[in-house]
Amino acid sequence: MIFGEQKPLEEVEEMIKDCKKILIAGCNTCVAICFAGGEKEVGILASALRMRAKMANREQEVIEQTVQRQCEWEFVDELKENVEKVEVVVSLACGAGVQAVAERFPRAFIFPGLNTTGIAITEEAGVWAERCLACGNCILDKTGGICPITRCSKGLLNGPCGGSQNGKCEISPDVPCAWQLIYDRLKVLGKLDLLDGIKPPKDWSTSQSGGPRKVVREDLKSSS
Amino acid sequence: MNNSSQAIGAVMVVGGGIAGIQASLDLAESGFKVYLIESSPAVGGRMAQLDKTFPTNDCAMCILSPKLVECSRHLNINLMTLADVLKVEGEPGNFEVTLRLRPRYVDLEKCTGCGACFKYCPVKVPDEFNLGLSERKAIYLMYPQAVPAACLIDMEKCRLCKACAKRCQAGAINLDDKERINKIKVGAIILAIGTDLYDARLKEELGFGRYQNVITALQFERILSPSGPYLGHIKRPSNGEEPKKIAFLQCIGSRDLENPFCSSVCCMYATKQAILAKEHLPQAHCEIFLMDMRAFSKGFDSYFHQAQERYGVKYTRCRVSAIKENPTSKNLLIKYQTDDGEIRKEEYNLVILSIGAQTSNKTHELAKALGIDLNEYGFCQTKEFTPLETSRPGVYLCGPFGEPKDIPETVTQASGGAAKAMELLVTARNTLVEEKTYPEEKQVEGEEPRIGVFICHCGTNIAGVIDVKEVLEFVKNLPGVIHAETMLYTCSGDSQKIIKEKIEESELNRVVVAACTPRTHEPLFQETLREAGLNPYLFEMANIRDQGSWVHSKEPEQATEKAKDLIRMSIARVRALEPLYGISLGLSRNALIIGGGLAGLTAALSLSEQGFGVYLVERESQLGGNLRKIFSTLEGNSPEKYLKELIDKVTASPRITLMLNARLVKTGGFIGNYQSVVRVGGEEKEIEHGVTIMATGGREYRGEDYLLGKDLRVLTQQDLEKVLASNPEKIKNAQTVVMIQCVGPFKPYQEKPFYCSRICCTVAIKNALRIKELNPQVQVVILYKDIRTYGFKEKYYNQSREKGILFVRFSDEKLPKLGVTADNNLQIEVEDFSLRKSLIFQPDLLVLSTAILPAEGSDELASILKIPLTEEGFFLEAHVKLRPVDFSAEGLFLCGMAHYPKLFEETVSQALATAGRAATILSKKELKVGGVVATVFPKKCAACLTCLRACPYGAPFINQEGLAQIEVAKCQGCGSCAAECPAKAIQLLHYKDEQIILKEEALLEKFGS
Repeated sequence: MIFGEQKPLEEVEEMIKDCKKILIAGCNTCVAICFAGGEKEVGILASALRMRAKMANREQEVIEQTVQRQCEWEFVDELKENVEKVEVVVSLACGAGVQAVAERFPRAFIFPGLNTTGIAITEEAGVWAERCLACGNCILDKTGGICPITRCSKGLLNGPCGGSQNGKCEISPDVPCAWQLIYDRLKVLGKLDLLDGIKPPKDWSTSQSGGPRKVVREDLKSSS
Repeated sequence: MNNSSQAIGAVMVVGGGIAGIQASLDLAESGFKVYLIESSPAVGGRMAQLDKTFPTNDCAMCILSPKLVECSRHLNINLMTLADVLKVEGEPGNFEVTLRLRPRYVDLEKCTGCGACFKYCPVKVPDEFNLGLSERKAIYLMYPQAVPAACLIDMEKCRLCKACAKRCQAGAINLDDKERINKIKVGAIILAIGTDLYDARLKEELGFGRYQNVITALQFERILSPSGPYLGHIKRPSNGEEPKKIAFLQCIGSRDLENPFCSSVCCMYATKQAILAKEHLPQAHCEIFLMDMRAFSKGFDSYFHQAQERYGVKYTRCRVSAIKENPTSKNLLIKYQTDDGEIRKEEYNLVILSIGAQTSNKTHELAKALGIDLNEYGFCQTKEFTPLETSRPGVYLCGPFGEPKDIPETVTQASGGAAKAMELLVTARNTLVEEKTYPEEKQVEGEEPRIGVFICHCGTNIAGVIDVKEVLEFVKNLPGVIHAETMLYTCSGDSQKIIKEKIEESELNRVVVAACTPRTHEPLFQETLREAGLNPYLFEMANIRDQGSWVHSKEPEQATEKAKDLIRMSIARVRALEPLYGISLGLSRNALIIGGGLAGLTAALSLSEQGFGVYLVERESQLGGNLRKIFSTLEGNSPEKYLKELIDKVTASPRITLMLNARLVKTGGFIGNYQSVVRVGGEEKEIEHGVTIMATGGREYRGEDYLLGKDLRVLTQQDLEKVLASNPEKIKNAQTVVMIQCVGPFKPYQEKPFYCSRICCTVAIKNALRIKELNPQVQVVILYKDIRTYGFKEKYYNQSREKGILFVRFSDEKLPKLGVTADNNLQIEVEDFSLRKSLIFQPDLLVLSTAILPAEGSDELASILKIPLTEEGFFLEAHVKLRPVDFSAEGLFLCGMAHYPKLFEETVSQALATAGRAATILSKKELKVGGVVATVFPKKCAACLTCLRACPYGAPFINQEGLAQIEVAKCQGCGSCAAECPAKAIQLLHYKDEQIILKEEALLEKFGS
């Protein structure tokens, strides 16, 4: 899932402080799961902003609405009525959601309330950790199911480097060395031979380097 | 019983402490009428006097009070206070008990405990409940949360001035009350009479009673309590100053010639009191003088370490022989030997005597009246394999009356004692219980709210501060209020009648009572609604007493305004409340028991005696578990014989299905309706059961410490036990046997903190004595850290010292070292803690008292059943104090070493307890579920699993649509999931957001927001 964190309250307040009426728009899918932009967090942010407005003697109305997913037109359209009522929408969706809302309502101001972090798993309740950088060319078959692009701080294809100490990455004792993990896993699987050769440089054209990506499935497109 | 058809379906429980309360609730919940007999004016017992409880620091009253209330409201528990048992005639199944009911001089039916009377009583006497540290009046309430919540008059002190009678608006005073004699027929009797405490005055050298700042631990407990004599502030009785140095003296009236047994709880309660003292007064120095630290139960060792490391409590190993008082400062001078052997004198501001348990003349009188034997210590005589049976058949016991013990073991035995009574009276179950019937409920959905408001004077408790008339006028004009009135006591019987009439007359469909706390009174009013044909959830209480007149007694005008606010809020919420309905479910009357050792066998037999079916799953090919490896007991009984008899009975029972070589593969469902798959041999069998009991046991640690497994001369205690039974010659010819205690996987690098395995000291001493019996010439040396022979096990510790067994204490820092000499002798080197010198032994046999670990596969079972484990890997019960054999998921129980290492009599008690607890479910005609439960609004659910992780009861699951759903039968209505759900897809019924928000808005509307 996509994960992210809410922006500091002060930053959001700064964006909206001159507006009379604001909509906080939540997204009840990925960012709800990581407690950043679901209906509950929308309620908390809206209340906090109302209190700040009151304390600063600002005449300001904050309304709330949360839709199932802000990255689908059908759900985005549910926001229409409220978007038309306000000066500004603060979207608590990921960057895709914010842009979808902006695209759908070209005359409305859409501000982001979140910093989108990436693609993560829930390691345990309250802990989300990145597992995929969406490079567009998956090599997990060669690395024991552990992604060095994401989890090695240097994104090395032929690790580990000299900064691997007691299984940890030199950037922090809390970060495991991805290549240590890969080695341990392949050892258990009896596939250490996968590490024998040198991996050639990766083709990054499938990644962001090749420009914005798009997947088109002609068979699924509507016939129009 | 001669004729089972005549068994009486009622049980008398003698003693209204936590043991008696638990036994009564279990019996009443499983189809028996209960007479709960208490000699004092209120139930609650010793636990009601405690401030907090170890090792969780839970407030004692907070966890006890709901049980008191439940007991007093239970339709099938007849609570009799100020009552003494005079005589018991008859036989098991059919006893006639003669009771003396002493006069209270206050009518229980009329008194509401409002307390107006004692304000005006002119007679002041020392308050027994606070052990003389404060005063009460001649008319008084035993303690603020007393149940029954009724006053009484101490006629010895009363001057008959009748001030109380004049003030009592309920007309409850009855100065002509007389003593009565009552005869009651019951089928069985459970003794839960507890113990008395040692009278510290007898130790004249300690100055208790002469030196004001020497107090007992129970007095200190009252001092710590917020409802105690100093309102929770720690002060010196002499001058009210905060003490800077506090000493705790252990074993006062325990482990001496007078009382040659250990009181089992004092080390832990002193530790708790020292921790609490440090929390109250962080700068104070707290020092505990003790002989051995007896932290022998679940979580105790980590609590002990917390006391030292986090709170800086000091422990000094010395039994203090005398205290002297400095007459000017009233400080107390203690002379003691330090751990280094130095003699020191130190002044303390406050000294607390950790007094032990003992029985009194009253116990002897009662024993005589009941015709039961007492043991050499004046406690109840029991046998090793039948710890809950007295010498008189049909009379059972539980709690410290059998042996000193802490609260969880007491509660355990209470459920176990209840199970014994259930077995005896199986034919009489459900013959004497009453069931309440209610009129059909009115359908009010869609109707406009028609609210009735009843405002309580509570005598003068509320009306003395709050202007109830003004409040009434205000309330009358609120939207939706059809009827409003004030009442002297809303909780009285008359008032219930009036409320019912008003519901009828004015066609009310919502009710608000503005009075005291819903904690004690909500069920009463809900019942009244139900009797009037209204759904009990269409009710709301405003607490204008505890949160109004009590806390704002000096600001009556503001208190009146606050009462209006509180009632306005309640009215706002009651408008939005919805009727809730429970669902009735059928259930399976079988139990699944996992583990065929002593625990599983005992539980199985008790349940089958009670007429329930049992599936007994054992993974080995034979029954018996660890008991097969025990060949002797402390008292010289034969475990082998006992086990054989037990297995024969279990095998012969038509209701027990034995499944050997079997494992639980899968389990699903909920209380009353579990479905499990058990693999027996190669075959998978599906079974249905109403409850599950975990009795998976434990195992001896057999790591490679001290050459175990490498040198044949190194044994564990279980190995030694076997040798002693099968090849005693081997031991007879030995010259020296050394035992090392506390051997286990506890080294820091393994990141496993030390925990006491509880049984090893007793087992080592049992085996050491056995060696001395075989050949007194064998030198037996026990190397130990603390000897933890709690309770009556102390006797055998004394015996072993008398027999010349050598005890050498070592410290955690300097563990004994084992080597092998050039001539291949084992050589143990150990530094004696008090001598500070190394001692060397060359034993023929080295015996290791190794830790008890959870059974292999416990973690796997934990994940199948979704039950929690402790850090050590034992199963974790719902509440370590008051729900010691229940898991938080209902219908799951645990007993034996699966819970924690324990001696076999303790396993028997605990196994019986699970049978008692299980019977409260299996005996039900149907199960009522639902009401205040969480519910998922599927459209909003993102299936994020947060609710599954947040729920302590395993109620949410992902359904076939891939969305969260709450299993109503498992939901306890705690609201954790509703609070956590990031999509706000879950609401807790009766506490929906809109219902709470309406209340808040009503409060804030006067501020214009």
